[in-house]
Amino acid sequence: MGAAYETIYFKADACDGCNECMSACARAKAQSDDQLQSRIQIVPSGEGFELALCRQCGDPECVLNCPAGALAKNAGSGVIAWDGSKCVNCLLCTVGCAYGGIAYDAQAGHVIKCDMCAGDPACVKVCTTGALKHVKTARIYNEVGNLEDLFAPGLSGCQGCNTELIMRHTLRRIGPDVVVATPPGCIPGMGSVGYNGLTGTKVPVFHPLLTNTASMLAGVRRHYKRMGRDVMAVALAGDGGTADVGFQSLSGAAERGEEILYICVDNEGYMNTGMQRSGCTPYGAWTSTTPVGERAHGKTQDAKNLPLLMVMHNCAYVATASTAFMQDLYDKLERAIEAAKTGFAYLHIYSPCTTGWRFPSDQNIEVARKAVETNFVLLWEFNPRDGLQLTHPAENAKPIDEYLEVLGKYRHLDPDQVEHIERTLANNLARIRGFAAAKGTASAEAGRG
Amino acid sequence: MKQQAYKMFDASTIPDDLCPIATKPTPMLPGDWRSMRPVVDRAKCVKCAVCWLYCPVQCVVERPAWFDFNLKTCKGCGICATECPQRAIQMIEEAA
Repeated sequence: MGAAYETIYFKADACDGCNECMSACARAKAQSDDQLQSRIQIVPSGEGFELALCRQCGDPECVLNCPAGALAKNAGSGVIAWDGSKCVNCLLCTVGCAYGGIAYDAQAGHVIKCDMCAGDPACVKVCTTGALKHVKTARIYNEVGNLEDLFAPGLSGCQGCNTELIMRHTLRRIGPDVVVATPPGCIPGMGSVGYNGLTGTKVPVFHPLLTNTASMLAGVRRHYKRMGRDVMAVALAGDGGTADVGFQSLSGAAERGEEILYICVDNEGYMNTGMQRSGCTPYGAWTSTTPVGERAHGKTQDAKNLPLLMVMHNCAYVATASTAFMQDLYDKLERAIEAAKTGFAYLHIYSPCTTGWRFPSDQNIEVARKAVETNFVLLWEFNPRDGLQLTHPAENAKPIDEYLEVLGKYRHLDPDQVEHIERTLANNLARIRGFAAAKGTASAEAGRG
Repeated sequence: MKQQAYKMFDASTIPDDLCPIATKPTPMLPGDWRSMRPVVDRAKCVKCAVCWLYCPVQCVVERPAWFDFNLKTCKGCGICATECPQRAIQMIEEAA
């Protein structure tokens, strides 16, 4: 296993050509106000803009072209560093680069290129339009990339299944000392419990009823503890099995403070059995049991706020997460694993369903991202000591249309229904903010910590 | 552990294979579901690992200077190509 590297992402259609990034770079790298001394260049192209910046290529042309050995890729950081003491100013490096990433600076008298500002690029910090993004996925990869994927390589989740993504990431991070409960739903449905005498998981896994996941898992955990073995008990359940059918056993286990980590993968319906509505299906959504026709226009009730219900159980840890914000998800997973050693930890992860929500499979992460950016999904975490905190800013949310219009299940919505959804989201946000303002004071006294 | 007050049943009469435990992972590989296949432009790949992060089947494999795909398990969903920050991945049609 080698390493992955951080990169700077340029979203051309978000760029307004303000050139602040160039000013920031020139200031940071050359103590100059001259944008020509910037390592990043935004170039007008047609109606929009293009980026000229070093990509820190995996197999860099500039390094190959350099006859003096003045350019070298750092295996640790991935940055291609320029060594002024070796450079002979032949400019062959600039000929090889297809991205305009290395160029001659007349004032400095030598070539200049981006060095990623030691992992904190100045250009990205000043970009207000979101056109420049510092992609830090490499940090996750370098940390957990070589941990074993604890599911079989072949699971029969739909193409682009977000739930499969959640399963593989979470279990990999949790590690092999675990017992997994997967009640009926997409998760065992795609073969994680196995069939025909074969298993889909490399760790012990069992298939409880829809109704008894949390109680059965609590018993398994207690027995392991009695036998003196420190084994994590994890539930991977859908929103139907969690919010509706399995709720009484979940509520009981949470109330007793059983030491389990319960992960609810919320795809807003009973997707495995044919996309029926669940208690977590949002208002207006098409499902096979809330059809759309002459009279019916999708679900007529709002979704229940399940993670908030779990907060009311005063669990050791409750959080909502989204796969579009993986670092946040991993951070929360870590805290949930820690909390599950002494109390009940609950993670609610939103999982856009390409088949049931009616959108192209490649758009899955984009849908998850839009859900958060429009405040349709709020990301927060709770523990009894610190109370509830939003972990993704809810200000400056994008208009809800941007989310609704990409999903087939909302294609029929009329303006009144959209207004209803907007109202519901505003109420949700106000409620969450109310909890966030209350902090952990009163609940900390009663909490199990 | 406490003894049962009275014996409910004779445990020795339970057959060994009543509840078999699967220990062999399923060999099913979903690569043949694919109609579109991801192809990496090695010159463009900067090894940022975004494709790995979002790949639902986790079929991304690391090579010395780029990331590649295990086509035995890749279902061809196209998330990697959409999310790649350097546009280094293209989805091409599988040959008929």
